[in-house]
Amino acid sequence: MKEEQAVLLYILKRVLSAISVVIVTLVASFALFFFAPTDPAGVICGPRCTPERVADIESSLGLDQPKAEQVLLYMKGIVVGREYSTGGVVRHCDAPCLGYSYTLGQPVTKLIGAALPVTVSIVIGGAVVYLIVGILSGTIAAQVRGTSLDRFVVGTTLVVQSIPYFVFALMIALYATFLPDSRYHPFLDNPLLWAGGLLAAWLTIGVTNAASYTRYSRASMIEALGQDFVRTATSKGISRRRVVYRHGLRAGLTPVVTIFGIDLAFQLTGAIFTETIFNLPGLGLLTLRAFGQYDLPVLMGGVLIGSVVLVLMNLVVDIVYTFLDPRVRLG
Amino acid sequence: MEPLIEEAGLARKGESTDPITAPTGESEKKVDTRRKSPTQIALARLRKDKIAVICGSIFLFFVLIAIFAPLLAKLEGQDPATLNQNLIDQYGYPTIAPNGEHWFGIEPRLGRDLFARWVYGARPSLIVAGSVTVITTIIGVVVGLLAGFLGGWVDRILSWVIDFVLSLPYLLFAIAVPAALLAVFVGNTENVANDEVANVRFYSLILVLSFFGWASLARLIRGEVLGLREREFIAAAKVLGVPTRKVLFKELLPNLVAPIVISVSMALPAYIVTEAGLTYLGVGLTEPTPSWGLTIYAAQNWYRADPLYLWIPVAAITILVLALSLLGDSIRDAFDPRTRR
Repeated sequence: MKEEQAVLLYILKRVLSAISVVIVTLVASFALFFFAPTDPAGVICGPRCTPERVADIESSLGLDQPKAEQVLLYMKGIVVGREYSTGGVVRHCDAPCLGYSYTLGQPVTKLIGAALPVTVSIVIGGAVVYLIVGILSGTIAAQVRGTSLDRFVVGTTLVVQSIPYFVFALMIALYATFLPDSRYHPFLDNPLLWAGGLLAAWLTIGVTNAASYTRYSRASMIEALGQDFVRTATSKGISRRRVVYRHGLRAGLTPVVTIFGIDLAFQLTGAIFTETIFNLPGLGLLTLRAFGQYDLPVLMGGVLIGSVVLVLMNLVVDIVYTFLDPRVRLG
Repeated sequence: MEPLIEEAGLARKGESTDPITAPTGESEKKVDTRRKSPTQIALARLRKDKIAVICGSIFLFFVLIAIFAPLLAKLEGQDPATLNQNLIDQYGYPTIAPNGEHWFGIEPRLGRDLFARWVYGARPSLIVAGSVTVITTIIGVVVGLLAGFLGGWVDRILSWVIDFVLSLPYLLFAIAVPAALLAVFVGNTENVANDEVANVRFYSLILVLSFFGWASLARLIRGEVLGLREREFIAAAKVLGVPTRKVLFKELLPNLVAPIVISVSMALPAYIVTEAGLTYLGVGLTEPTPSWGLTIYAAQNWYRADPLYLWIPVAAITILVLALSLLGDSIRDAFDPRTRR
């Protein structure tokens, strides 16, 4: 088989498996949320509720229909949108409609749309910190391998990795009062406030994740610096720094990039602990609030969006990796 | 190859093939390799590892606390549920410092004894983490063995399921699933006793963590089995007509001891953290179960007025997890013939 055909076939296979995962996730969440006997109308109108009011709410949400009908309505909502009428007022929910929040009175899509930028800001900023810290300290440790500095770095990463993340984040949130108060400001309003408000969260994610990136990049730099081309470069009289940072780092970073892709995908599905502890209204906090209030449409929307993001990111990582490392598509 | 020859050969070369654990260049220690199984060699290495011994003792200490929690609380003369409202002032602050009667002081607001809550709090952590580790290990090993050994359509289906489970956002599901389970088992969530909710939450936590936990081990075991399947001893067993079940559990399983032990030692601290973390978020265990995660959640608002309230469970969980992780690291080094120590 020709090279391009093999690549295409591999990508096609990955896309198909990604689609199958999304479909099964959809079905599983439907089963979980639609067939569980819940009482959303009671949640919406509180303890002092008349039976008529309950019936009104149920019919407005389509909850008086048979379960199978509800699933179909929900599916239809995702594709073409749907309408809800409460007390004579008709509210339109545009496609892709994931339903209406029971407690917040807004379309789920809108809530998730507001939460996603927060999560993305937290995750990207944190990634910048841990990539810089991790790769730098890993590269330095690899160069001084075997010395007490190297052992210190490795020992520190081991300890940092072993501290429970939520405990670490909580300690930062409670005791690192010199950092600016954590709060989310949209980037476009004021980039400086945006960065200041997220700084504590970024540093927390950065420091804890830097530990594993230090270890990864240390290991792959040790391997890269032992290769022939590094010896060749050194023997040509190129400066040590240039050899390490130009030649060695380029080869040593490929495995780190792969791990980064997978990590990023997972973190995007909700930096739940970070968001809760620093009180940042991202996807994780949204889902958590929904859990506390039995707001099932939001809960289900969060799970669905999270799954789709994760599957898509994995797919992207796999496809990018095919071009980085030709061995993958042959295997 | 005989295991001891293999071990000696690798030790002679002194090469680490595992990039993560690339040696730091420590001096080589001599290991007695005469007539011992790989597991015995590993255990001997472990006994000589000071960090492993210390961390193992710390773990044992917490296990003993969990087992003898009622006895310890009785020794103090308190129990985890009594509300000592007479020791709480009108603003909710405790009026006493830790003393001979209340060793760690009492909870602000409710006035329950902190030492009793602390010793009982070790139980759910260890029970949840322990049972999830056992369940995920059993499922992971069995699925991995079947997928790797049988191959064909069995492998294709099981591999797809493994990929599927691994590609779900498990934290989001860990939040969503208990809500659904609660609705199924308890029904209407109003007017239900706290005990009943706490019970359902306890089991649903174990269920959720188990559901998402087995897949990575299954993938690992499957990979190992794919390599072992083509070796001579398996072919010989097949030729002799040994039944599949025996080949799987008598021939293959003993060769998988190292990856299984390593995975267990890594999983246990991870699940303790997950349990405490989810409980802290309010989606794990609930009151009245005494749990460190719950205490940390309640104590974070009192961290200035009553730092001990926050720091005791924080210290306990950090020390326990740190000890278990370092122990896991030592176990990995001891069982992995490719690392030199």
